[in-house]
Amino acid sequence: MKPLEPFDSNMQLLQKVMDLRSTKQRIIATNIANAETPGYARKVFEFETQLQQALAANPGKLETTHSRHIPFSPSTIHSVSGNVHEIKGTEVIGDENGVSVDMEMIDLSENQLLYETAAQLLKKKFALLKYMVSEGK
Amino acid sequence: MDIFTSMDVSASALKAQRIRLNTISSNLANVETTSTPEGGPYKKKSVYFQSKPIPFREALDRSIQGVEVTKIIEDTSEPKKVYDPSHPDAAEDGYVEMPNISVLKEMVDMMSATRAYEANTTVIKSAKRMALKALEIGR
Repeated sequence: MKPLEPFDSNMQLLQKVMDLRSTKQRIIATNIANAETPGYARKVFEFETQLQQALAANPGKLETTHSRHIPFSPSTIHSVSGNVHEIKGTEVIGDENGVSVDMEMIDLSENQLLYETAAQLLKKKFALLKYMVSEGK
Repeated sequence: MDIFTSMDVSASALKAQRIRLNTISSNLANVETTSTPEGGPYKKKSVYFQSKPIPFREALDRSIQGVEVTKIIEDTSEPKKVYDPSHPDAAEDGYVEMPNISVLKEMVDMMSATRAYEANTTVIKSAKRMALKALEIGR
């Protein structure tokens, strides 16, 4: 069995995911608030592919000169900021507004659940660390 | 704080929808009002929504916008004419000018405002749940 690595990059990843998901939440809130504003273009926040690319690009680990050193790898996760793009309304009823509240609500709950998942995982990671530093008591 | 920005956005929408609901109730209350302080029958009012950047966030992120009612528009269409010679506001030909308001349309608009209000309260609830979940990490 692989030994547990308490300070792995997953912690940074989860942190970043929570950060990005909270931005996404704000964009969805903007869409729902402006669901009836004439001429408003729906905004979509995307970061998944960018994050996947950052995870795939491994810039290499820092050299460890002792077998007990904790390997540390600088990651490109921090540079992921996601991007917002606007979608002009296609199903226009005359006000040139493309927001459909039901779709936004689905996005909202999906985003919320994934945010909570990341928060839960992070919490468990900290709980594990605490268990380790208190000698398993 | 991030989560509070989301709440600001939704709160601006709640305010805008409330103003809309107030205009609708004003329209419904005055559906048969034939005289106003400005003279003539009551004119149907409707709100004009415009998106607005959240204060203090403008420079940071332009894509996060709330909504506000920038003006309340008065209907310019001709008033409805109803024949009622006994009415105190009747003209010489016996016709009374009535507000041009469709009760049915106002009702539909009211439902739509209510639903939009509910959608925004759901967003606030969700933002709150997320914030609480994040706080749980430190517990």
